[in-house]
Amino acid sequence: MKVNLFILLLTILFAENLFAKEINIYSHRQPFLINPFLEAFTSETGIKTNVIYSKKGLAQRLKAEGENSPADVILTVDIGRLYIYEDLELLASIKSTKLISNIPSHLRSSKNTWFGLSKRARVIIVDKNRVKNGEIKRIEDLANQKWEGRICSRPGSHVYNRALMASIIAAHGNIEAEKWANKFVNNLARKPQGNDRAQVKAIYEGECDIAIINNYYFGKLKFSEDPEQKKWIKNLRLIFPNQEDGDRGSHINISGGGIAKFSKNKNEAIALLEFLTSEKAQKLYGEINFEYPVNPNIATTSELKSWGVFKEDQLPIIKIAELAPVAQKIIDRVGW
Amino acid sequence: MFSNWNKWSIIVFIIALLIISPILTIFYSAFLGDTSLWPHLFSTVLPRYTLNTLILMIGVGSLSLIFGISTAWVVTRYDFPGKNIFEWALLLPAAVPAYVIAYTYTDLFEYAGPVQNSLRTIFNWEGAQDYWFPNIRSMGGAILVMSSVLYPYIYLMGRSSFLRMPISFYQTGSIYGKNIFLTVALPLSRPAIIAGLALVLMETISDFGTVDYFAIETLTLGVFNVWLGMNSLSGASQISSVLFIIVVILLTLETIGRKNQRYFEKSSGQNISSIIEAEGIRRLIYSFLCFIPILLGFIIPTSVLLNFVLKGFAVINFQEIFSAMFTSLYIAIISSILVISVSILMITVSYFRSNKFQKFLIFISSCGYAFPGTILAVGVIVFVGLLDNFFKFNFNYYTGGIIILLFSYTIRFLAVGNGAIKSGVTKINPNLINVSKIMGFSFIKILRKTIIPLIYTNIFVGVTLVFVDILKELPMTLLLRPFNFETLATYVYQYASDELLEECSLAALMIVIAGIGPVILLNSAIKKTGKIRKSEPLIY
Repeated sequence: MKVNLFILLLTILFAENLFAKEINIYSHRQPFLINPFLEAFTSETGIKTNVIYSKKGLAQRLKAEGENSPADVILTVDIGRLYIYEDLELLASIKSTKLISNIPSHLRSSKNTWFGLSKRARVIIVDKNRVKNGEIKRIEDLANQKWEGRICSRPGSHVYNRALMASIIAAHGNIEAEKWANKFVNNLARKPQGNDRAQVKAIYEGECDIAIINNYYFGKLKFSEDPEQKKWIKNLRLIFPNQEDGDRGSHINISGGGIAKFSKNKNEAIALLEFLTSEKAQKLYGEINFEYPVNPNIATTSELKSWGVFKEDQLPIIKIAELAPVAQKIIDRVGW
Repeated sequence: MFSNWNKWSIIVFIIALLIISPILTIFYSAFLGDTSLWPHLFSTVLPRYTLNTLILMIGVGSLSLIFGISTAWVVTRYDFPGKNIFEWALLLPAAVPAYVIAYTYTDLFEYAGPVQNSLRTIFNWEGAQDYWFPNIRSMGGAILVMSSVLYPYIYLMGRSSFLRMPISFYQTGSIYGKNIFLTVALPLSRPAIIAGLALVLMETISDFGTVDYFAIETLTLGVFNVWLGMNSLSGASQISSVLFIIVVILLTLETIGRKNQRYFEKSSGQNISSIIEAEGIRRLIYSFLCFIPILLGFIIPTSVLLNFVLKGFAVINFQEIFSAMFTSLYIAIISSILVISVSILMITVSYFRSNKFQKFLIFISSCGYAFPGTILAVGVIVFVGLLDNFFKFNFNYYTGGIIILLFSYTIRFLAVGNGAIKSGVTKINPNLINVSKIMGFSFIKILRKTIIPLIYTNIFVGVTLVFVDILKELPMTLLLRPFNFETLATYVYQYASDELLEECSLAALMIVIAGIGPVILLNSAIKKTGKIRKSEPLIY
């Protein structure tokens, strides 16, 4: 009897292992950012997740691994990176009515290979006291000579700025865009450096009055555990650019994902993407990282709403990726 | 040139070939790729990138030489206050990763940092327009922080060479009333110092973390802009290959430069170099000289980290950090032993048992150190992918991942291992080996009985340097690791790349702490070389 019980216990133990599904994720997003989502996913579905995080080179790794690749899901930020996966034909085309109904068409691939999961806006921040209300309304305004020596920026070749540059090319064409970039660079207070957080700090310190950041940095600083960082945003005004009637709206970018072409667990992988567009996860994006939901049926968090409701640039997001190499060339030429 | 193939040289040949293959893969993809980007690069960024790279190399090279040689000489030759501490403390900065020191210096010296804040309070300055303060995120800043953590390579190599210098040489120099540092010690230590300098320069050229953080536009930064910005891996490989060729040329020039010089000596039997008591103001000057690099490369960055740890105590995840530390330690121990074993085999075979072609191959195989880590990692990925398709060995991804990681560490850090082993092996008198051969001993026996005991210290130096390097290694680990595999360096990176220093400062401090122990052991090993042990043959 004792032996039987033991065997029974063993069976249960192993059965759990046998049926517990796992998926492997290649992530360009830091583990500390995606873990809350993955934990929620596992507790809802019982599917376990394994992660490799790297900012660069995962597409090359996936490509070289070919059919042997253990990867199931790719998670990344910036449309440019998603596009590289599609360009190298590393993504599976998947059928999911849920994904199609949850994500507007301009934020997912027409071939159903990659899917936007959250949105972030590139916004202008200014010091309330040093820049008057209404003085800056469009991203184009930053080329105005009156801001000479008053703008801080992270290097132009960072994906966020490269994407912004691409959106300006899409709106005005190469020549006008380069003119803008040239004037913009002339207005910089210091050599481009640091990340978006560092630009906020520079305004707080008085090195400059204006910067461009991704909207979520504002939230991260506002709710920072470091009292020092909370101070940085006290005097800031957030400007969603290009909002007037007839203007194109603010440039946005996405975080997104896709399923590896040779994934052995496609159903579970699809389940993860679907979960990430579900109400629960879409709300988490707002609560954890101050990002906007892609799912139009999910309301933006009240905190995000309090920063302002804005109109977004409706440009098919893929254009940003297609124009990225041109944008990089302009950035090289103007020395941003 | 192609004669003299034997069992050992064939084995080494195969290993060298394996190690070179990922590098060749990078060249191959560079060669295949389209070159349409070059006109754009030439007319825009390339001149600036090249100039910046050269300035950085010259700057870091010079400052590291100054820090390394001056301190190595005074602690070897003189007695002065604190000397016994300086001896090992001068090695401590080697344990501080360059990207960490960049973060800490920025935090300390930027506009909002404590230094400028206090200055503003003291002098009642209002803002940036009221005073001038050097920008830490600049070329000068990069040279300073990189030299502060890289000079130990030169210090280490220089010091062990000074210690091994036969006293008779110094005596001869003194008889003629010459400055023995300039006329004897320095010229005779040239191979050792150059070996250290080569490591410093290769690390400088391949650095991404620091130049990215300081926004210094070097060729390595350009590699990534081209790769990720223009979606052109082949363009990136092309720039990397140019970098690589520069390094090979530099190293070849140096080899040619000392082609006809031999550095082994039949010892006079009396080689305890005497230590001179420094006098008067010199005592202070020497102490000060040694304190500066330790302050810059160790005390300042660790204090800033410590401050972050205390400030951010609430957000530190101890469990994750300890598990990362365990991973870091075990992977660093295994890999450093592996790398040195390969180095011993390669160098001894190259020196005693091989033809020119094999020597060349072995030389090239130690150049992986000069590539940006991520590019080298991509080379490994592509090469292993080809092997995988060819042999269908279908690695299980967990064990496979670890093996690939070990393989790539070997490619990357072979230069460090080879440098350490080479400076020992080249000092062995070939007659010793010839005698052993005449007596009919097998190569493996000669290796075990004669060579390894003679280069014991060098082995120890090599293992320690590689161990510390792997603890700090970031880009290759990041990309090649198996799932859920977190080292201290990758843990630090996920936060530090977002400028969240409180969360990761403890992990960064752990990297430094884990490196301290071996560094102190290393010092005692080097000191022994300066003393005669009866059982040890007196041949250098």
